[in-house]
Amino acid sequence: MNDQSPYVLDVDEISIAFGGLKAVQSFSMRIPRQGLYGLIGPNGAGKTTCFNLLTGVYRPDKGSVRVDGEPLTGLKPHQIAAKGLSRTFQNIRLFGELSVLDNVKLGSHLRGSHSLGGTVLRSAGYIGQERAIEDRAMDLLSIFNLAGRAQEQAKNLPYGDQRRLEIARALATEPKVLLLDEPAAGMNPQEKIELRTLIRQVRERFKVAILLIEHDMGVVMNLCEHITVLNFGETIARGTPEAVQNDPKVVEAYLGTE
Amino acid sequence: MTQFLQTLLDGVTVGCLYALIALGYTMVYGILKFINFAHSDVLALGVWMSITIAGWMGMGAAGQPTPPWYMGLLVLVGTMGFCGVVGFVIERVAYKPLRKAPRLNVLITAIGVSLLLQNVGQQKFAFGPYPKSFPSLMESSSLFTVAGVQVRASDVAVVGTAIALMAALQFLIFRTKLGAAMRAVSFNTRNASLMGINVDRVISFTFVVGTMLAAAAGFLYGLKYEGQAKQTADSMWVMLGLKAFVAAVVGGIGNVRGAVLGGLLIGLIEFFGVAYLSSQYRDAYVFAILIMVLLFKPEGVLGRATVEKV
Amino acid sequence: MSRLVDQARSLSPAGWTVLPRLLWPLVVGVVIAGLIQFVIGPNISGFTSKVMLVAGINIIMAVSLTVVNGFTGQFSMGHAGFMAVGGYVAATITYYGSIKLFGTADFAGGTVSWTGAGAFEGPIVGKGDLLFIGSCIVGGLAAAGAGYIVGLPSLRLRGDYLAIVTLGFGEIVRVLLQGTPDQIQPWKAKEALDVPWYELLLKLGGPKGFNLLPTYTTLFWVYLFVVLTLIVSYRLKNSSTGRAFLSIREDEIAAQAMGVDVTRYKVRAFVLASFFAGMAGGLYAMDIGAINAGDLGFQRSFDFIIMVVLGGLGSISGATLAAVILTILPELLRDLPPIWPAGLVLLAGMAAAQKLRGQWRLRPLIVVAVLTAVLEIARRVCVAKGINIADYRLILYASLLIVMMLSRPQGLFGVREAWELFGRGGKKPAKGAA
Repeated sequence: MNDQSPYVLDVDEISIAFGGLKAVQSFSMRIPRQGLYGLIGPNGAGKTTCFNLLTGVYRPDKGSVRVDGEPLTGLKPHQIAAKGLSRTFQNIRLFGELSVLDNVKLGSHLRGSHSLGGTVLRSAGYIGQERAIEDRAMDLLSIFNLAGRAQEQAKNLPYGDQRRLEIARALATEPKVLLLDEPAAGMNPQEKIELRTLIRQVRERFKVAILLIEHDMGVVMNLCEHITVLNFGETIARGTPEAVQNDPKVVEAYLGTE
Repeated sequence: MTQFLQTLLDGVTVGCLYALIALGYTMVYGILKFINFAHSDVLALGVWMSITIAGWMGMGAAGQPTPPWYMGLLVLVGTMGFCGVVGFVIERVAYKPLRKAPRLNVLITAIGVSLLLQNVGQQKFAFGPYPKSFPSLMESSSLFTVAGVQVRASDVAVVGTAIALMAALQFLIFRTKLGAAMRAVSFNTRNASLMGINVDRVISFTFVVGTMLAAAAGFLYGLKYEGQAKQTADSMWVMLGLKAFVAAVVGGIGNVRGAVLGGLLIGLIEFFGVAYLSSQYRDAYVFAILIMVLLFKPEGVLGRATVEKV
Repeated sequence: MSRLVDQARSLSPAGWTVLPRLLWPLVVGVVIAGLIQFVIGPNISGFTSKVMLVAGINIIMAVSLTVVNGFTGQFSMGHAGFMAVGGYVAATITYYGSIKLFGTADFAGGTVSWTGAGAFEGPIVGKGDLLFIGSCIVGGLAAAGAGYIVGLPSLRLRGDYLAIVTLGFGEIVRVLLQGTPDQIQPWKAKEALDVPWYELLLKLGGPKGFNLLPTYTTLFWVYLFVVLTLIVSYRLKNSSTGRAFLSIREDEIAAQAMGVDVTRYKVRAFVLASFFAGMAGGLYAMDIGAINAGDLGFQRSFDFIIMVVLGGLGSISGATLAAVILTILPELLRDLPPIWPAGLVLLAGMAAAQKLRGQWRLRPLIVVAVLTAVLEIARRVCVAKGINIADYRLILYASLLIVMMLSRPQGLFGVREAWELFGRGGKKPAKGAA
């Protein structure tokens, strides 16, 4: 681990345009170790695009991203995941036909080595690794209260469980920064309260920094230490929840001008 | 020089055929986002239907004089009409129920349709299992000679018909309301339906138009290469269809003008390759081009790179 | 939590234990193949054994295609092309190798490979057998190399391009092989001795095919390879690599985000499948004693696709079952036996399985009953009218493919294996939930 940089995620002025549309402009953000940050904004503000830029689904036209001081420029999504950036998706993207357990096991994929020979011949190293992957996956599932459903197909889980399974799968990649894209979407109030507790526990237990996109103000304001507000791809405010809440620009973006 | 010009003529003529077939692939891909595997079988159907219709009209029997040109046109229209109906049925029965299914399933269904057409076509009650010769609908001698190059009537007919059809298509897509609807559906199906466009009808229509173009290409193919029409299940049709598909990819799949450009390009490359390199590997040139395009410009010459939404 | 690698090291079994895990598939393969060859083989007709042999080769092809089309969800349509590559390479090595090494292109194997009439006097395994098996493996490697060259550029792109590129590849292989010069006939073997080996590699018979090869392929060799292919595929499916394959099929973007190098795994699956197809090509060539690229065009590829799709995209047992059924179906259709007894047995079996599990589901029972009735009536009509259903076999397959996609797109078994469908949930995890 690189201890010199106080920030585990350092985003410096990234921008991207699709045709004429400037989807994200000069977006910057620094998250300290185990920080819990929020990214909010009206629909179409460019929040998910930011996630896609960070995780390499899109390549930024300008700017750079560093994780733990290491630049991610030009890396492919799977390489970025290996650097310690993991995410969930707004529209849940589980491996539906696979079992719940296999979904989490897959998260461990990038931390192992998978030679074809070892796999086919069932070498000692391979067996040890499979055991380790299974143990870790089961541990994660029990933390997320999903151990009882380990063998079910992921697509058959109820909605709230699917959201939590996505977080468990992301954690199996041993990330340094966890990006959560609307984790509370579609949850009922009780589930939302549980989710807040869960996210805090995750940060303590796995020592990750968390950046979350969320529409539910209750969740964001209660949970995050620091919030960035986007509108039309531009950063219009940043600061503590209280400061952001009272920022006239933010109020305007959400409620519109009179 | 003569050889160069002759090759140019052949390349352009066959390029026009590729372009017509490629248009069908590209239109269906643009709107449904899948490769219509049965397209090359519709092409074969076009050839065989032409033979059948010409037979009904009493043409093509040995010793008969060449029929007047409008008889050929009648055969063309009849073939296009018949294949259009077949295309409509295929789309309704096999593809429509799969609108929301994964692309792989649609591709497999298309393979099923392709196999079905091939094997039904080979039955005795359809076209039978043996090759037949295409009736001569035009004088086979050369029409006129330019710089030592013999221009045959069939070449003129192929290029002329192809250009006429492409112009009509261009008009349809860019100048009519229906064309605007087609472009809208291709751009964003959901939004198009929100704007009150009957998406199913537009898709059906696009599919039928593509099918009819393939049928026309089949007819023109028969006109150019009189001699033998291979059985419906011959791999030659698939190869012809494949080359046209490569043309669509080279031009930029989903792009109508790209398909025409790609078709001409592939036709020229193939014929110049045969004339100046070796004829043994004529099919290899086309696929070499495909691999190059896939490696260096996968979106094609006129296509635009698309960003997948996450 | 400690890191995965450290945890894995502490959980590894002792190194020597790899030996039994490595050897048992081989032992099982040899035992099963030996039983089929020496116990079942002598008691069945030549025709039956021929059908079994073809079924075995088809199993290898269908199961290997499952690795690409079923596991990773990429759609290869040129599987027969890889079979041709492997088959021709193996045929070349066996044929010209025999000439160069033994002076003639005659059979030089032992009892396991003897396909001729009458009893065979000689060793169980001969020098020719080693040449033959070696050639099949080299054929597999050559096909794998071809798979790598074809796969690397096309697998980076959207899935449907692969379909076209592989189809084009298959056709190009056919065109190139059919353009090769005549082979050196066996009775001119002496001439071949003076021709350098690299020139021999091109004399593959062209459009006439590569003929008069020594025949080595017996039930023993085919089923040895079948067992090995099945075990390797099954081990792959249930491994971290297999999960990576399946994740690509399920959701490529999510797989990338979880750190799966998507292109690499696609190429891996493709190369593996090509290897098995190439080996099957060697078995095929040395079974018939001839190989002709004209027989291995896209139509043959479609046969394998039908097997994979009907069996269930991703199901090894499904592909195996479909390969067997589709191999014997044309023979069965020629003289169709009554269908209702089989239907009755199936119904009884399903009812018994449901009773064991203690839960009754009526729908599958009704489906099977209705299906049996419909098929039986159709059969009687055909018999009464004197219609030979075998003539309409391909129309039947094509319709089946379309109907399957419209009604049960995941195929017979889906991604699961036959036994997983009954014992719901499958095996429990090794350690209980803590």
